[in-house]
Amino acid sequence: MKTFLRAALVSSMLLVTASAQQVTRGGTLQLAVDQSPVGLDPHVATAFSTFVVTGQIYEGLLDIDPALKIRPLLASKYTRSDDGLTYTFTLRSGVKFHNGDPFTAADVVYSMNRVKDSKTASPLASRLASVTSVKASSPTQVTFTLSKPYAPFLSEVATIAIVDQKYVEGGGNLQRAAVGTGPFVLKQWIPDTALLLDKNPSYWAKGQPYLDGLKFNIVPDASTRQLGLQSGTYQFLPNIDASVAVTLKGARSVQLLRSQDLAYSLLGMNVTRKPFDDPRVREALNYAINRPEIVQGVYFGDAQPGGPIPPALKAYATPVNNFPCYSYNPAKARDLLRQAGYPNGVDFSILTFSTIKTVADTAQVLQAELAPAGFRAKIDIQEFGSFVQNWRNSNFDAFVSQNGGSIDPDGQLYRTVVSGGSTNVFKYKDPAVDALLEQGRSTTSNGSRVRTYAQLQKTLACRGPLAFLAYGALYSAARSEVRGFTPNPTRSLAALKTTWISKE
Amino acid sequence: MLSYAARRLVDLLVILLGVSVLVFLMIRLIPGDAVQILLGANTEVTPEQIAQMRHTLGLDQPLLTQYGGWLAGVLRGDLGKSVWTGAPISQEILARLPVTLELTVLPLLLASVLAVPLGLLTASWRNSGVERTIRFFTIAGITTPAFWLGTLFIYVAFVVAPDWATIGYVPFTTDPLGHVSRLVLPVIALALPLLAGLIRILRSSLLEVLGQDFIRTARSKGLSERRVLYRHALRNAMVPLLTVLGIQAGYLFGGAIVVEQVFAIPGFGRLIVGAINERNYALVQGAILVVTAGFVLINFVVDLLYAAVDPRVEYR
Repeated sequence: MKTFLRAALVSSMLLVTASAQQVTRGGTLQLAVDQSPVGLDPHVATAFSTFVVTGQIYEGLLDIDPALKIRPLLASKYTRSDDGLTYTFTLRSGVKFHNGDPFTAADVVYSMNRVKDSKTASPLASRLASVTSVKASSPTQVTFTLSKPYAPFLSEVATIAIVDQKYVEGGGNLQRAAVGTGPFVLKQWIPDTALLLDKNPSYWAKGQPYLDGLKFNIVPDASTRQLGLQSGTYQFLPNIDASVAVTLKGARSVQLLRSQDLAYSLLGMNVTRKPFDDPRVREALNYAINRPEIVQGVYFGDAQPGGPIPPALKAYATPVNNFPCYSYNPAKARDLLRQAGYPNGVDFSILTFSTIKTVADTAQVLQAELAPAGFRAKIDIQEFGSFVQNWRNSNFDAFVSQNGGSIDPDGQLYRTVVSGGSTNVFKYKDPAVDALLEQGRSTTSNGSRVRTYAQLQKTLACRGPLAFLAYGALYSAARSEVRGFTPNPTRSLAALKTTWISKE
Repeated sequence: MLSYAARRLVDLLVILLGVSVLVFLMIRLIPGDAVQILLGANTEVTPEQIAQMRHTLGLDQPLLTQYGGWLAGVLRGDLGKSVWTGAPISQEILARLPVTLELTVLPLLLASVLAVPLGLLTASWRNSGVERTIRFFTIAGITTPAFWLGTLFIYVAFVVAPDWATIGYVPFTTDPLGHVSRLVLPVIALALPLLAGLIRILRSSLLEVLGQDFIRTARSKGLSERRVLYRHALRNAMVPLLTVLGIQAGYLFGGAIVVEQVFAIPGFGRLIVGAINERNYALVQGAILVVTAGFVLINFVVDLLYAAVDPRVEYR
């Protein structure tokens, strides 16, 4: 049996009441984002441009706080059966959807089944792969039954948005109109121009949100967004690039809100192609990478070299100095290459794209770093769509990209390195790794999970198909009058509901 | 004249059909389809799910079936639906039309209204200080891209008058003043390079006309220099100017993409680029069809105008 820590709950409520005395209510926060959402259905469109908006409109059963702890949201508590096969969620009462429909257990069941249904074609479906049934045991209780114990279950199910069954079955098109339980209500969507969100006047958390509304201005040009923030036209730029953060550092009336990022840069290798089919070459490549230099050159010093598990997951992440191959050693790299039968070095190509600046920059820094060790890389920068196609079809020698991280080591590694995994584009196959991955997700004892993932990291760090490079810092930039926003390593903007604009 | 117009309209239909086939094939030849783009490089999706999504969107159908279905829709006046949002394409295009028309017509008007007097000035005051000054600015104008001017304008506006500086777009009906103030900078940014080009063309074409026999005849008849310039020379010098205006109008109507990016204006350029990036096939096809039709129509109008300004032009 496990319930939420009551103490944590009480203290967070105290915090809210304490700050509630000083907050200024009202006003519309002007945000500037680079891209229009591709649709608003939280089960179908999962792109980041959609998520920043739908994250204000919809809520899941649980939430992930800035310290990466799982917190109650639409579910006030949950229990797990001793065999780890049944989870029962008790739902918050008195919650209403934006159209006035009451939120019930039936909506949770409907939402989960909608995600599972292949007709919905939801990219989130695999999160519920271990779930055999979702049933409403009462109007305020939902029971999930699992086929086998599955440790990351809570983090997988936490943020899946709950939609209004009545509304969707009545023909509501979630891609264009949104009806959730969240703190803000969609008022207007002018494609490629702006999205207007109004405060939800009957939001269940009393007194929230503090703002009257949010306006997501779609401003594709980075320098325009930046100048607009400096002039006060915009008040908030969520999740900006490291290079933009550097230029805004010290700007008048601008504050940078910093958090760790779960996302990481990586160099992926195709283990079915020469020379990376040889684990010694993969190890040599790791020795040839100067990670601190990447941190300096690409992230302006504000990043951490990291291994297979994000440093933000303190309980699991193995410190990088435990991986010998993570210390720069070109001589050792050349030596390993010679042992693998490449005394004259190797030629290969790095596939990458230019839409994320840190990615393109990383590829160039890597190219220069690898050369002294005998890795002669040719960079192949492609348009994003073309990159994705080649990436998905494993049509590369190596690629440089950025991956979003997970708050559970299983989410971080399983589908990426398990044999036949959905994002195992490296074609990596290792029965020992597969066994550890299965063990990591099926054991629910924390101690044994930590040991399992420690072993896994050791195996993957040097001879695995990915060279993990760096975990950057995550910044949002705001005008100095913006208060109460806490950045979240998951990039969620849920804290906008407690954000306010100071009148001072 | 009428039969000429009719023939041109038939040409237009043929061009549109050809363009539709080309666009249809090209957007599908680019690697990566709508599903892959939407999912990006970092997802939890299995290949079976991708196949299912592709099926839901009709992307697994043979190309000919897809094209036939689309063409049949277009003939009924239905441009199809946006891949992901399910919104009718015609709605999205209609929402952009006023924006794009403004960004086409206003810079053209501004540039042509200023080009005629300035062009006349440079042609009649050859080798004077005024002419050299204008020439300096025209060369600077031609060589400076509109997007760079745009960024410069934004920067200057934000530094000089941060309270006044606005970017983005609001419809005229919701906020007339805000609408106009947001359009001032992009319109000037688009008009300046255009103006510079027009002045140069008008100048050289005026100089050429002024050296011709009929000008000498006009002068020898004792007409005032003013009359010679306006009634005889300018009219004859207008034909190349119209050609350039026609091409520029088509270009602006297709979307002055970089200026739209810089000023966050939702015109056709951004619509098309966004749709290509998302592989939103029906939207790309619909938008390019409308732009092509616009381009061809503008050229048609320009052809008719040739006859109006130059009586020697005849249509058969």
